[in-house]
Amino acid sequence: MTLAIVLVVAAVLGLVFLLRLTLSRSLQLSSRGGLAAKIQPIDIEAFRNLVDPAEDDYLHRRLTASEFRVVQRGRLRAMAAYVQTAGRNAGVLVQIGQAALVAGDARTSDAARHLVNDALLLRRNAAVALFRIYIALAWPTSGLAAGSVLRGYEQLNGKAMLLGRLQNPAAPLRISAML
Amino acid sequence: MLQAHSFLWNYLWLAPNVLCLILAAVIYRRRQHKEFPFFFAYLLFVALKEFCLYFLDVSPRVSAETWWYAFWAGTISEGLFKFVVVAELLHHLLHSWPSVATLGRNLVSGIGALLVLLAAVAAAFAAPDNTPRYIGGAHILSQTLYLTEAGVIISIFVFAAVFKIPWERLSFGIALAFGVVWCEHLAIWALVTGGVVRNRGWEDLANGATYHMAVLVWFYYFLVPHKEVAKSAIPLPENDLAVWNRELERLVQQ
Repeated sequence: MTLAIVLVVAAVLGLVFLLRLTLSRSLQLSSRGGLAAKIQPIDIEAFRNLVDPAEDDYLHRRLTASEFRVVQRGRLRAMAAYVQTAGRNAGVLVQIGQAALVAGDARTSDAARHLVNDALLLRRNAAVALFRIYIALAWPTSGLAAGSVLRGYEQLNGKAMLLGRLQNPAAPLRISAML
Repeated sequence: MLQAHSFLWNYLWLAPNVLCLILAAVIYRRRQHKEFPFFFAYLLFVALKEFCLYFLDVSPRVSAETWWYAFWAGTISEGLFKFVVVAELLHHLLHSWPSVATLGRNLVSGIGALLVLLAAVAAAFAAPDNTPRYIGGAHILSQTLYLTEAGVIISIFVFAAVFKIPWERLSFGIALAFGVVWCEHLAIWALVTGGVVRNRGWEDLANGATYHMAVLVWFYYFLVPHKEVAKSAIPLPENDLAVWNRELERLVQQ
């Protein structure tokens, strides 16, 4: 009896999820105009500084163990915020690239395909990096590498710039400038 | 009206399968069977399977036991077929995006394996049944299959939503209808297996009506042309950060 109710609740939740997904998909298709405005600027230099292992070593040498843990947790939280924003921006770029995929121009479609693929890679890296950051928050003295996110983000910027050039040759730098 | 062999009961058993055959013919005419070969084969298989079960059901020469054994064979074959169709949908979702394809396949396979274990545990805890083993067992089998299938298709939707992977329109339509049917069937078979609902009549009609709706959803996605969104350039926000690009290029080259 209890098991049946658990399964019924799970099935109903599944149905609600599918309904919401279908509604949000049809809403997304009709409102793609303001997507680029959803991209949040990121201070990539500050992020690069945060993920620099040399900074970790420096702080480790300069601070006591307890001070280092406190500082490192603060840096990890900041890092998580950057990674979440990068992941969200990549999600917006997937949608922008998806809209550009149907363009008649083969070069634009190709650029859009590359942009979407790289944005998906960044989302994957961001998910992995976030997972590692949350583990490191519990154990701040462990090493952690979010460098793959940084590299992915930089490559993504180049792809977005190419797509911007192909879609609107007069203003080539706008999407990438937002990143 | 809710009783077995009422007009509605007969209609909901036969009509969706007739529609499946019509849809298969449409798909074949449009040469879309090359795009979705397993889904096309599934439509033919499931329609023929249901017609066979229907005629076995109404035939006075066929015993109840024989009918239930045919139901077992059909359910197992259809269950295996559905997993192949799910693999086809997953391929359509991921094949253009190699950056997440391996992760997606591994994740969905892993979740599928976990769900099989979960379904086995759920089957072990099924409520005792006074009916013959081949009937009670068929209920448990259905619950097991729908628990796994619904879980797998929902996990694919969640994966696509989390990573914002774009669905092709037809794949989305097929997967959506399957998702709705399998979730509903899971709920009904869980109630039947758990002994909450048995032989009330409406459970067959609920399953039939949901499947009928799913077939109509497939018709919609295959027959109604996709609304083309205006292909104007996306308005990109004004920004004076050309300096940013120079800095990023410098960073990449470091």
